[in-house]
Amino acid sequence: MRLALASTLLCALAGAAVAEPVVYGLDPTHSFVNFELLHFGTSTIRGRFGPIEGQVNLDRVAGRGRLDIAVATASVSTGWRPFDARIREPDLLDSDAFPQARFVAAEFRFEGDLLVAVRGDLTLRGVQRPLLLRAKHFACEWRAILAVEVCGGDFEGEILRSEFGAAFGVPFVADRVRLLVQVEAVRP
Amino acid sequence: MKGRRAALAATAWALAGCAGIAGGGGPAAYALDPTHTSVTFEVAHFGTSTSRGRFERAQGSVQLDRAAGKGRAEITIATASVSTGVPVLDSRLRGPEALDSEAFPTATFVSERFVFTGDAVIAVAGSLTLRGRTLPLTLKATHFDCYLSPLLAHQVCGGDFEATLQRSRWGIDFGLSLGIPDEVRLLVQVEAIRQ
Repeated sequence: MRLALASTLLCALAGAAVAEPVVYGLDPTHSFVNFELLHFGTSTIRGRFGPIEGQVNLDRVAGRGRLDIAVATASVSTGWRPFDARIREPDLLDSDAFPQARFVAAEFRFEGDLLVAVRGDLTLRGVQRPLLLRAKHFACEWRAILAVEVCGGDFEGEILRSEFGAAFGVPFVADRVRLLVQVEAVRP
Repeated sequence: MKGRRAALAATAWALAGCAGIAGGGGPAAYALDPTHTSVTFEVAHFGTSTSRGRFERAQGSVQLDRAAGKGRAEITIATASVSTGVPVLDSRLRGPEALDSEAFPTATFVSERFVFTGDAVIAVAGSLTLRGRTLPLTLKATHFDCYLSPLLAHQVCGGDFEATLQRSRWGIDFGLSLGIPDEVRLLVQVEAIRQ
């Protein structure tokens, strides 16, 4: 009886210690925004932005989190440089006028201690719109090689680029852009 | 001026359409459009997230006979054109433990068996030569279509193709002992212009 009480107390204490929100730093080698959009309804154009910069606060026990992350719009990379230069122009990303795209989210949805979705606001090309990113994978694990705890996952969302004023080429090049976000963050 | 240019483009498109219809039967040769052809790969990074990369330089040709349900394709990629967004990782991938780009500068996929449903390609069966080893590989289509390009005034056929392979079968063991998975998912975008 006494043992059970002691162990409950210990668990509660341990829980309290873990429950403190932790500020994670993004791993720049595993944090990118990939995008996909359909070309003439036929094949998928892919590219990436990144690495993502910013901070993630995560409290898995309390089921809360907050993030404020950004990518440089000029970092767009499709594998074909003239195409990248074209995407940076004023009628698409307008990277000179809007060098950063930013995602700020304070609504973290958990199932147990697993993060399943993050809802926040995306600011792109000076336009702010709500964005929901659903987790396809999420896990925290001990990375023995680096002797650190890493939380990370794959998150997916969709935007209509015309809503952000980047409508060039619609409908031949799709309005709907699928975002595939890889993120890993290291517990300090 | 803008209107005239649009009318011209529309005429070119219509003419290309006629040419497309006239040459509709029988096999046709297509050249890969390098600006809309790329090979992306996905590998799980331990148990957390998915790392992605791509090969940026691909070239090749396709013969397609939609009426007869036949085709042939040959695509070559430059292994040194691997790009993950992490330059240090790209160097490791080009090195002897992984792609060994100096010894094996190209990887080639050759297919002589196209699988059709109606006039749409649904799979392409062939062999992949990577790091000097040739093994069978089938790419499944997730999209396939042909359209008349208003910019090129030619018929373009293309699609998205996927396959999952075990890289160790081609001798790429890099990171396996550390827990980086053997399984690699390939996502291939292809568009080819009718010649």
